[in-house]
Amino acid sequence: MKSFIVQAVKRILVGPPLYYAWMTLLLIFVAIGIGSYIQQLKVGLIATGMTSYVSWGFYLGNFTFLVGVAAAAVLLIIPAYLYDFGPIKDIVIVGEILAVSALLMCMMFVTADLGRPDRIWHLIPGIGILNLPSSLLSWDIVVLNGYLFLNLLIPGYIIYKAYNEKPVNYNFLLPFILLSIPWAVSIHTVTAFIYNGLAARPFWNASILAPRFLASAFCSGPALIILLFQIVRHYTKFHVKDEALHKIAEMIAVAMAINLFLLGAEFFKELYSDTHHLSPLKYLYAGMDGKGRLVPWIWTAFTFNVIAFFIFLIPFTRKRFLTLNLGCVLIIIGIWIEKGMGLIIPGFIPAPLGEVWEYAPTTLEILVTLGIWSLGLLILTINLKIVLPIETGEFTKHTASNGALASGRA
Amino acid sequence: MKSKYLILLLTALGIMGYCFSLADKSALAQSQDAEALKEIQAPTSEKEFPVPLRPLPKTITPCRACHGPEKDFPVNFKRREDLLVHTNIRLNHGGIRLWCLDCHHPDNRNYLLPLSDGKVIEFEQSYLLCGKCHGTIYRDWRDGIHGKRTGSWNGVKNYYLCVTCHDPHNPKFKPMAPMPPPKKPWTPVEVQARH
Amino acid sequence: MRHKKSSESGSSPGNRPPTDLENSSIKKTNSELLDRRTFMAGAASVLGMFAVSSCSWQEFIQNNFQRMTKEEIEQTVERLRKEYKEKYGKDFVVGTEGPLEATLFGYALDIQRCIGCRKCVYACVEENNQSRDPQIQYIRVLRFKDGDMDLEHSTIYYDPEEVPEDGYYYMPVQCQHCANAPCTKVCPVRATWTERDGIVVVDYNWCIGCRYCMAACPYMGRWFNFAEPVIPAESINTVTHYLGNRPRMKNVVEKCTFCIQRVRVGKYPACVEVCPVGARKFGNLLDPDSEISKIIRNKRVFRLKSELNTQPKFYYFFAT
Repeated sequence: MKSFIVQAVKRILVGPPLYYAWMTLLLIFVAIGIGSYIQQLKVGLIATGMTSYVSWGFYLGNFTFLVGVAAAAVLLIIPAYLYDFGPIKDIVIVGEILAVSALLMCMMFVTADLGRPDRIWHLIPGIGILNLPSSLLSWDIVVLNGYLFLNLLIPGYIIYKAYNEKPVNYNFLLPFILLSIPWAVSIHTVTAFIYNGLAARPFWNASILAPRFLASAFCSGPALIILLFQIVRHYTKFHVKDEALHKIAEMIAVAMAINLFLLGAEFFKELYSDTHHLSPLKYLYAGMDGKGRLVPWIWTAFTFNVIAFFIFLIPFTRKRFLTLNLGCVLIIIGIWIEKGMGLIIPGFIPAPLGEVWEYAPTTLEILVTLGIWSLGLLILTINLKIVLPIETGEFTKHTASNGALASGRA
Repeated sequence: MKSKYLILLLTALGIMGYCFSLADKSALAQSQDAEALKEIQAPTSEKEFPVPLRPLPKTITPCRACHGPEKDFPVNFKRREDLLVHTNIRLNHGGIRLWCLDCHHPDNRNYLLPLSDGKVIEFEQSYLLCGKCHGTIYRDWRDGIHGKRTGSWNGVKNYYLCVTCHDPHNPKFKPMAPMPPPKKPWTPVEVQARH
Repeated sequence: MRHKKSSESGSSPGNRPPTDLENSSIKKTNSELLDRRTFMAGAASVLGMFAVSSCSWQEFIQNNFQRMTKEEIEQTVERLRKEYKEKYGKDFVVGTEGPLEATLFGYALDIQRCIGCRKCVYACVEENNQSRDPQIQYIRVLRFKDGDMDLEHSTIYYDPEEVPEDGYYYMPVQCQHCANAPCTKVCPVRATWTERDGIVVVDYNWCIGCRYCMAACPYMGRWFNFAEPVIPAESINTVTHYLGNRPRMKNVVEKCTFCIQRVRVGKYPACVEVCPVGARKFGNLLDPDSEISKIIRNKRVFRLKSELNTQPKFYYFFAT
């Protein structure tokens, strides 16, 4: 164990110049983020753009997006373990590590959003009070932590075996794998229910919200994974087959089709019935009372999503990496807007007593957000730096004890 | 809003004739602590229900000092616009339907016109007179629905009489300057510019 | 409890008995306290564990009010009184009166009477020690055009020379103290709950500041202290209740409590007392002879957004 840690640390500290540059960049952003966060703690949440009208903002927008990314790991699990689809099975572990990083970022975003992080122990059952079963936020804490546990356990076990050069006992692992499938669905469903259950906010209080969450999660998460795999296979010896990436792209096409269909259904219901429940949608897509900060953003998201849908739908563009990657980027940006600010902010506009007051993140909020993203990417990089060599067999008990240092690049 | 004031306009200077049903028991029952009230608030009108007496301003009493058959100002039942004295009073209550002696006792200005039982109404119980016209409002007031009460929700209450808030000669509630509006919330800079 | 105590840092390791109330940090000046707080809060959350008080040690480990024993409540109250004395130089009463027997508070507001003068807003601010900057006001007075009750067409920022204005009417909105309150349901730590007498309260020392309750409230009845509340010492109200108007800290949620410090001892809420037109009515819903019961029985009442089944104990009515 000791030699594992020593070797792991060495692997983290050693890499090509590009690796150092990347890590330094991330560390700078992390430092700025922490500094900004301390400032936020000092003056209070007044340092953010949130007001009593729009009481949630950029932090929870990013949180929501990242829950989707984490949930999408299930997309890889289903074919990998259940249908034994070889090409994906080989690489599923990377998806799970991505999920872990995304989950940690989720938790950081929620913590950043909390007014009193010093009282976070109030959430621990026993010494604190976790308001189950009535609070969906409490449920979300349960499912996110459970999902984190599963996503540490499954790849952790596989890595442990690989490191010790022993075969993986799938009989032991299968119950957890099976459990992680509904669990992945649950994290995004419960996150959707956080918003969905609030009758005060008609924009969220539509039963289509949870399905839309899932559909969009199954777009953005896998898109991120496709990009990540290409980076990984470019910089390491870890092998990812094209077949696997194209399979994932196919899934994205289906998910995006469902996502757009559900969006259309929502549009029809609100526009045709034309009640006051239309107001947030109107604010989002057309602006209201001369205020329409989100309008350009949401139309960008819509355009990107539609373009990406066609890219992934047509085999010609799906199978060419140039267009495939373009599609991935478009989808990530599109969903990030749609499931981030585009979901959170209109929930508060107009306010329950009818007023329209807008929200925009402050510089501090953006810096803290960048810091959290950087910290998440840092965790992801470090994890990959250790896990990938183990997976490829470069870093095992033997190599470790030999003190050999594989030249794996991150 | 306007109709409210119209109704109020018809209020305080009452009319003769109708006796308001005094027998409404609920009036007494309405206060849980009627007894406690009696103890603490010494001067209350005995009959109706416990209401603090409203002392009259020293300046206008006793009316008999001037008014009365043997005094300088004999009773004149003619409605007049311009009074020699009481010039500070601009009667704006009930339009031309009402004037001084529709409420004030012509023969004894220290009192208001009597109820149908013949007993005169004291100034301290002016609400009885108001109730002659404004029966429904009077009932609401007695129940604590109309008008203001302070003190204790489950104990001694301070009642505000009709004339505390409504000048009987000009009963319309006076407009007032509002307190400042709340501060507007923080808004994104470019949005602020447009406001 | 006024005797002197040795000065011991509140951030010292937690092996001191939590019952020790004589915390030293009270002796520090405000700014020192603040600096220490911020530093501590920063360090604590970055470490993500064992947050060694953005506050005193006792405040940090303080339990949820509903779970405190009698002794703990007494000790907490003593500690709070000292903190407040330090901060405002005045002796505070921090009441912990419980709900009265056979009492369920209800409120009624006569829309026909209200003239929109906002006297209630400011009486409430004074009574309940709301932050003047950033500004917190529990009561929002909505102005509607005659013939319209569309919330989206209302405003709270009207500012004419005189009220009431022709062609408009007013509807003050504050916490509706719902029987089926969406806000208490969503709180992840049960920092907010409905008392037996129907008052929805917040334990400011238990609130983690997630603002979920604010998102859940259809009436905007909840307010968040986005910064350290500022109240001039000369205008602070020293007669307080633990669950009511005691001074709050930054980054926690607060709300109207029907003036719990007043109504639990039999007084009317401040907004009722100040209303110049007597539009505000308050009383016991369980008492058939109370003003509020008579209003509900005899007048046409409605409750705001009743379609949401929040079942407010706040009624609007038209007296005439």
